[in-house]
Amino acid sequence: MGALTAQIVRSSLSEVLGTIFAVAAGIVVLELVLYVILKRKLQWRFSLPIMLVSPALIGLLLLVLYPILYNILLSFSNMSLRRFTVERGLTYGFAEAWNNLKIIFSEPVLKQQKFFPVLFRTFLWTFIQVFFHVTIGMMIALLLNRPMKLRGFYRTLLLFPWAIPQIIAVLAWRGEFNYQYGLFNLLIQKFGGQSINWMSDPFWNYVAINLTNIWLGVPFMTVILLGGLQSIDPSYYEAAEMDGAGKLMGFRLITIPLMKPITTPAIILGVIWTFNQFNVPYFINQFELETSDILVTALFRAAFEYNRYGFASMFALIIFIILLGFSLAYIKITKFSFGFDKAGGGTPLQAVGE
Amino acid sequence: MKKMMLRSLVLLLLLLSAAAVPVFAGAAAEPAEPEAVTFSLWTQEGESEGVYQWIEALADNYMAADPNVTIEVVRKDTEALREDFQTASLAGDPPELLWTVGDQAGPFTAAGLIRPVDDLYDVSKFVESVVMDGNTYAVPISAGNHLMLLYNKDLVSKAPETTDEFIAAAKAATKGDTFGLVYNMTEPFWLVPWLGGFGGKVFAEDGLTPTLNTQAMIDTLQFLHDLKFKHAVTPIESDYATMDTLFKEGKAAMLINGDWSLSDYAGVLGDKLGVARLPKVTATGKYPAPYTAGKYFMVAEGVEGPVLEAIEGFIGYVTSADIQNEMLETFKRLPGLLSGLNAPAITVDPILKGSASQLAVGTPQPTVVEMRANWDAMKPEMNAVLSGTTSPADAAANMQSAAEAGVRALQ
Repeated sequence: MGALTAQIVRSSLSEVLGTIFAVAAGIVVLELVLYVILKRKLQWRFSLPIMLVSPALIGLLLLVLYPILYNILLSFSNMSLRRFTVERGLTYGFAEAWNNLKIIFSEPVLKQQKFFPVLFRTFLWTFIQVFFHVTIGMMIALLLNRPMKLRGFYRTLLLFPWAIPQIIAVLAWRGEFNYQYGLFNLLIQKFGGQSINWMSDPFWNYVAINLTNIWLGVPFMTVILLGGLQSIDPSYYEAAEMDGAGKLMGFRLITIPLMKPITTPAIILGVIWTFNQFNVPYFINQFELETSDILVTALFRAAFEYNRYGFASMFALIIFIILLGFSLAYIKITKFSFGFDKAGGGTPLQAVGE
Repeated sequence: MKKMMLRSLVLLLLLLSAAAVPVFAGAAAEPAEPEAVTFSLWTQEGESEGVYQWIEALADNYMAADPNVTIEVVRKDTEALREDFQTASLAGDPPELLWTVGDQAGPFTAAGLIRPVDDLYDVSKFVESVVMDGNTYAVPISAGNHLMLLYNKDLVSKAPETTDEFIAAAKAATKGDTFGLVYNMTEPFWLVPWLGGFGGKVFAEDGLTPTLNTQAMIDTLQFLHDLKFKHAVTPIESDYATMDTLFKEGKAAMLINGDWSLSDYAGVLGDKLGVARLPKVTATGKYPAPYTAGKYFMVAEGVEGPVLEAIEGFIGYVTSADIQNEMLETFKRLPGLLSGLNAPAITVDPILKGSASQLAVGTPQPTVVEMRANWDAMKPEMNAVLSGTTSPADAAANMQSAAEAGVRALQ
């Protein structure tokens, strides 16, 4: 490391401070303008809230909306490495968008595989993951949701996979799938089994990816579900027991319906995160087997290895539409309400009432 | 109340602009001095081998000699450097100078992100560089980046001359938990030397059309397959970390690795380390031809004026005979300066001698963008052959169709 000289400090500060001052001055000007227009001229009663919210709103628009809009713009272009700038042949338009769409559905999105096999594999991956996350997560949550010794300790332990940076955890898992020295093969050998080619065999590589992500995803689900379970009043179970309901019936008729306000958003989020999970399929698949790629890893390869920016942006847009469609359908089917409307779904009891 | 709010807002604005004056004035004052220039240098050299620290020291020395120049050295991983340079160029604020691997010149020239450097150095005094459309796009810093045969003299007494001897030596050394040969079985970079040995090339004469479905490729894949399944001299699976660890622990007699690793192994194995050319392929009588590339300077498009002059000065400093010699002695990397290749150190040091001997039969790594399609096509099929799930003939055919699809995608 070079020494931190006064010159370096000065030059770094001048770079940063300029931006900070510009942002601060921009905010003050914005507030002045809003004040003069809303408060002085229009005398609007919401002028103060608008003034307070507007800096954050503009920041969010810049950071969230701008990239999305830019992505949409790029999907209407033929941008690639050879057509990097307008001078080098970059063009925008509906013809380019249509061409990108056509390529996605007619030509390989990876090396050999086309869109639909990869989409199917992504659905399968998402289904397996969310299924195990919810079932295992629910089992652990039920186990932890009763008086026991060291409960706090177990709960802390559960958060471990979460506390480790994901990429580190995934690379550590990849090491455990090593043919020669990995934990899994050593265990298999100990019990007299045949070592598995976790990295080079397409089926086992897919299994390896799934195992890793189950380990990563269960704690989140458990914590969320545990929070839900704790909010259920025990008197419901007592009442049910008096009416002769067993444990299983109690779970089916009380726990599941009362958990719906928790499970619905958790499942929607779980599906979206898993569908877009990049680290696990990308890094566990060390040999770049096409059979282990899902839509987002294929998208990454198209955008950053083949530099097909226009194509990749359209691809991203399609993934977005698929997920949006899923979320809307799921909300409709489960009749879930976010509680925005006055009538619906704010408390667990109302959810049961529906 | 209203007045107070308005007044405080105006006051705040005044205060801010007063405070900002020195900052902006400071920024504006810099270019006023005619010679003060700042440029960024991005490099992908690692810290573990000490090369990154060496570059920082070089920059410090240069800045001490010319106080008007400020060089900001930034380290990035190889792939990150490529992606970030593309993104930064798109945003209009790329670093002015790169110190990176040669094949990145392919994508950078395709997108028009780097400028020709013919006017920045004497091309005739250096090893072959990246030439496209008659322009040179990179200044060689080091020559090499080539694979070669490394062996542990405790396990193999003498470097094999032919592949027959190679296999015999590997078989003799394979005992218990010791392997005769380790190499990175996951990367096709380790396949291409043998492809050359069997008389094949990844591109046709035009340098753009993939030629992967050839007898030479089938023979190469069969050779690698046999090393694992017939002769059983390699591990079942081995990536870079596995081969590196096995060799350092003395559990591998022979290793195929690049010049970047030489100083590391010399430190671990000392006198036991042997370095030689990869053995001649008995069937063809040809030497394997590893890719050679080395490290290069590349200059971002649009750099000109005093900054370009400062960059030219820094390039001249790093490629001077003294610094090239320092690199050779410290990191065992062959210099890009031709006169440096005749340095006595190379003929005296057995490690450098072996490395130089391998370099002599190497072949320049293609820098065209299409090479990406070839790498991606070869990798999974090579792995499929090495896991026994695909035959060499099928793999070669699959490689070709995947590479063709990849080349189409790049259009």
